[in-house]
Amino acid sequence: MTNKRFFNIFNLTEAEAIELLDTPLDKLAEDESRYVAASHLINFPTTAAIDALIRAIDNNNPELDNRIVRRKSVETLGKLQAKQGLPAIRTCLSESDCYTVENAVWAIGEIGTEDPEILSEIAQILDREGQNHRVIIHTLVKLNYLPALDRIRTFTESSDEATASAAIAAVCRFTGDYTPMARVMEFLFHPSRNARRACIQDLIDTNYYPAISTIARCPVSIVFRLRAIRLLANNGIERGEIEFADIQSSLEQTLLDRPQDLELIHEYDLPPTLEFLIRQLYETDFGLCYLATQTILDNFAELAPAALLATYEAEAYNDYGAHYHIMKLFGWLKYAPGYDLLVEALNNREPQFQKSRAAAALALGELGDKRAIPLLVASLDTKIWDLKYAILMALAKLGDTSGREITANDDDWIIRARAAGEH
Amino acid sequence: MKSVVTTVIAAADAAGRFPSTSDLESVQGSIQRAAARMEAAEKLAANIDNVSKEAYDACIKKYGYLNNSGEANETQVKKDKCLRDIKHYMRLINYCLVVGGTGPLDEWGIAGGREVYRALDLPTAPYVEALRFARTRGCAPRDMSAQALVEYNALLDYTINSLS
Repeated sequence: MTNKRFFNIFNLTEAEAIELLDTPLDKLAEDESRYVAASHLINFPTTAAIDALIRAIDNNNPELDNRIVRRKSVETLGKLQAKQGLPAIRTCLSESDCYTVENAVWAIGEIGTEDPEILSEIAQILDREGQNHRVIIHTLVKLNYLPALDRIRTFTESSDEATASAAIAAVCRFTGDYTPMARVMEFLFHPSRNARRACIQDLIDTNYYPAISTIARCPVSIVFRLRAIRLLANNGIERGEIEFADIQSSLEQTLLDRPQDLELIHEYDLPPTLEFLIRQLYETDFGLCYLATQTILDNFAELAPAALLATYEAEAYNDYGAHYHIMKLFGWLKYAPGYDLLVEALNNREPQFQKSRAAAALALGELGDKRAIPLLVASLDTKIWDLKYAILMALAKLGDTSGREITANDDDWIIRARAAGEH
Repeated sequence: MKSVVTTVIAAADAAGRFPSTSDLESVQGSIQRAAARMEAAEKLAANIDNVSKEAYDACIKKYGYLNNSGEANETQVKKDKCLRDIKHYMRLINYCLVVGGTGPLDEWGIAGGREVYRALDLPTAPYVEALRFARTRGCAPRDMSAQALVEYNALLDYTINSLS
């Protein structure tokens, strides 16, 4: 499920990007970036682009500005699944730069190979310290390299939770014994945000459907939970292993994203002030934001709207994290004067504010103002599945059924399932 | 929080030994650079809004195509929105200056970050370009002393390296 919403931010032609990538470091103008060129060639799956990326890998200048270009070129070749790039990428496996090695291993996983020599070479990197063992484990499992099992098993007790999670999941997939996945699920509530996010990926990779309702309660950003539930639903339903009814409540609980539905792992030493709670909405660990949201709803429901409006106008209008939480809070606080801001957020097409759109739709449902119905129906014309699904939930809350009729034959099975279901 | 001191003590304790001469030298080196780091931390904190905004604005100006209609930075107002991420990295760089190690960046900024960027197809280039600008923008003695600038630039390089 590739997300292309950011792919075209550089507006370079293929020829321009290739020329830029080929420019020697000492010939670059101050406003030129080969790194941007290497990123941008993702848009051009052509022989010319691939050859240019391979030439960039062959440039061994050790300066930082060149090292980052090489790494990006490796990654782009991986994203393009360019088999021609494999020999060049393979040469990166023996390098000392851990990030170049990481990208090379990942890219080989994307391109795919059954060459036992390459696979063995990747497995041996597990013995090297300072490498991203998690990515190596993921790649070895993805390429089904069973001879690496014993090596991978040694990482199941790693002090790095993300590595341990990947190793446990890998052993389960290789052996077919999924009992140890309970340990992976425990990481969903680990103090480390990285551990929580990482284990979600491992639960996806193992198609571990029993985790779906627990993932829905994990205190990380909705983006990670929603992605996991959607990918697990896609795989499980396609294979006939689960049904829509098995995931519907977890999915809708996640879209609503109420803090009381999450298992929050943080707590306050002292009763917090409203001012402190508002600042917490800007945190990058969403677990902290959810605790603040819950505390605002519990203790400051009357004072909060004015404070939220003030912080919105001062900062949150341009902070996509706080913006999201404020949209949700306007809905739960039933803050009718927030209607116009919610409509603005519903129609905001900037990619970094995408999750605020579905939040705004649901908040409009909470407000109960039926003026929102035609606006929500109009916003059904989108390719963003979670926005469309959230709109259907909001319309149901507002007593509208026209959205169900409009989406009854939607291209996306999950939208059709919601439109057809009982609510 | 990992720092030179905690790393040295953790390694010594794991081996049940006292810190070695080279351990002590590395701690001593870190302490000797502490004044420069504190100066850089103080100057960065005092100018965080300007430094972040200038870096991002320069990136936008340099790459006018970031302003394409309907894309990530459609208007003057909207482009400010990615400041959130630049400020976040600058805050972690500030913590690293105080700690005297890369622990805050490693633990809160980098760990898992590369995987998330790949999994969600998020672009790293705007951030890398903004941080590269910040590195070339810093000037001694105008902004801070030469020693402080060395410490600050080393962490900018570290962030660029690990993000890219």
